Amino acid sequence: MMLKLGVFELTDCGGCALNILFLYEKLFDLLEFYEIKEFHMASSIKEHDTLDVAIVTGTVSTQRDLNLLHYARNHSNYLIALGTCATHGDVQASVEGKIREKLEKVYGTRANPMKALDSTPIVQHVAVDYALPGCPYDKDEIYQVLMNLAKGVEPPTKDYPVCVECKLNEYECVLIKRGIPCLGPITLGGCNAVCIKSQLGCIGCRGPLPKEANPASEFEILKELGYDEEYIRRKFKTFARGELRW
Amino acid sequence: MSIEIEAFTRVEGNGGAEVIIENGEVKDVKVKIFEGPRFFELLTLGRHYWDVPDLEARICAICYLSHSVASVLGIERAFGVKVPEEIMLLRELGLLGELIESHALHLYLLVAPDLFGYADAIRMASKHGEIVKEGLALKAFGNYLREVIGGREIHGINVKPGGFGRYPTIEELERMERQSEALLKLARRAVGIFAGQEYLGAKAEHYVAVNGYLYGDGLIADDGEHFDYFKCIEEKTLPYSFAKQSRYKGDVFMVGALPRVILKYEMLTPMARHLYEEYKEKLAQGYVSLNNLAQAIELVYALERTKEIARALLDKGFEGENVPIEPKEGEGIGYVEAPRGVLVHHYKIDEKGNIAYSNIITPTAFNHAIMELSLYEEAKKRYGSSDEMTFLQKLEETVRAFDPCISCSVHVVRL
Ligand code: SF4
Ligand code: SF4
Repeated sequence: MMLKLGVFELTDCGGCALNILFLYEKLFDLLEFYEIKEFHMASSIKEHDTLDVAIVTGTVSTQRDLNLLHYARNHSNYLIALGTCATHGDVQASVEGKIREKLEKVYGTRANPMKALDSTPIVQHVAVDYALPGCPYDKDEIYQVLMNLAKGVEPPTKDYPVCVECKLNEYECVLIKRGIPCLGPITLGGCNAVCIKSQLGCIGCRGPLPKEANPASEFEILKELGYDEEYIRRKFKTFARGELRW
Repeated sequence: MSIEIEAFTRVEGNGGAEVIIENGEVKDVKVKIFEGPRFFELLTLGRHYWDVPDLEARICAICYLSHSVASVLGIERAFGVKVPEEIMLLRELGLLGELIESHALHLYLLVAPDLFGYADAIRMASKHGEIVKEGLALKAFGNYLREVIGGREIHGINVKPGGFGRYPTIEELERMERQSEALLKLARRAVGIFAGQEYLGAKAEHYVAVNGYLYGDGLIADDGEHFDYFKCIEEKTLPYSFAKQSRYKGDVFMVGALPRVILKYEMLTPMARHLYEEYKEKLAQGYVSLNNLAQAIELVYALERTKEIARALLDKGFEGENVPIEPKEGEGIGYVEAPRGVLVHHYKIDEKGNIAYSNIITPTAFNHAIMELSLYEEAKKRYGSSDEMTFLQKLEETVRAFDPCISCSVHVVRL
């Protein structure tokens, strides 16, 4: 039995939807199990149908996004919030100010005919069955998740920081050894510490480590390295907004 | 009465169109970009310059590296920093990778299904698997370049002001040289495939491009003038779209592959130039759908140029050292050709190195007006003579020819 899959893109950079196409041959492996019913970036076909799995990327940034999200939730059995936009709000949700003020600054008017909303992650609006962060997420991870679901297995979630992958790769710690601000200790792993491979500090694109993270001590380390509080505060909230206890 | 295209498909991002009919005639077309606004310039205000290219990369996934490079160029100009040629060549390799990845995605996965009569590349693959595979091979190579230079396939943070986090290795450069050579024949074939596409949309009357092939220090237009974007281009907001519209000296104009090959054919590499000569008269017709043929020619260009640069760097060797940067107050503009056209990043930076002003204009915003005009002309031509399905299909194909990147277009601002 083929599973029915829908991919819904709310407001975002397109990366999380695109990353599915970057699976290349593995995408064809998935198509042995899934039938794509809706995926507007890739196909002109749109079948209004109930879905086994809905993937939703992006943030809720307009009334239209919200309607589409409810549509996806109401028509699917299993909903995956895919990417940091969907799980934590990502960069656009960290822009400060109220929507009307922002509209005025950018478009010169407070009028809101297209019904823009302050950006929020989808997890704030509907119950999700699986949340996979990353800006973008690691494409092998979504492949595994979809394969698990096809086999009727609930996919596992990761629970370790980027630092673990950095150690496994034997990269030199850029935070301690070179004083480069790196959010690896408080960021959820799963990217194989790719930015530290480039000898750059993690900017936190996979969102905060859910448990056991110690943002307070990270804050202190960065302060001791000479970074001011405002700088650190902004860095912490870039992908995960202010309300996270970082 | 009006006919709605609820949502364009096989494009990046969310947008649609409304065709307004009065007395049995097409009166107007509105291209509605309803992807939510993303306020990127607000996001970067007050942020330290070093972090800004990584944030701006998130504007768009298909062309993240163009955004990083434009951002880095703007920042370096603001500080008066000049980087050595090798760093510019490496950045160019990344931009070429992005061009290959983006054009291959667009031509093979998004446009080719129209040419062969399928709803998508997945369905097309059962009959024309070879073509889809060739497209994927090109795309994967483009992504390889983005990964090596940019740090990741999408949203890497390796392109930094003053240089890179990590420099490529000899092996990586050798692989680039080898693979670009091997893929050239696929790209040549693409030119043949897309040369047969029908003429759709308006005829572009004005073209605008960056003065260098993929990056530069100003813009050029068909009247030969070299100018800064704020001198001749005006933007205005619309009540029905989150993207703004621009005019060049008051006129509708086009940016993208077609303007590039026409305005800068002298900079093309030998085989690409030869192909350009072959199709010159056709391209000169100016129909916006010819953008796809121009993209195919650019695939050839990008592969030849990649080979050339990889070889030059291997022969000369390179230091792999970043230029140190001392923040100081300044203003700078980065001009880059993203795959779908001119991209501008303009910054003012304060003495501490924090962003005080930022303005970004993306290709889809530049093309918004000609996109609307193209839909209007196509709709006028077809209304009443084709059935509704074909009518809508042709309008979608017309929009698709621009390879619009809607996510890019929704945060145009001057502060
Ligand atoms: S999470 Fe990142 S890559 Fe994914 S859509 Fe959002 S901005 Fe793009
Ligand atoms: S190292 Fe950090 S910033 Fe880089 S990909 Fe991983 S989580 Fe994202």
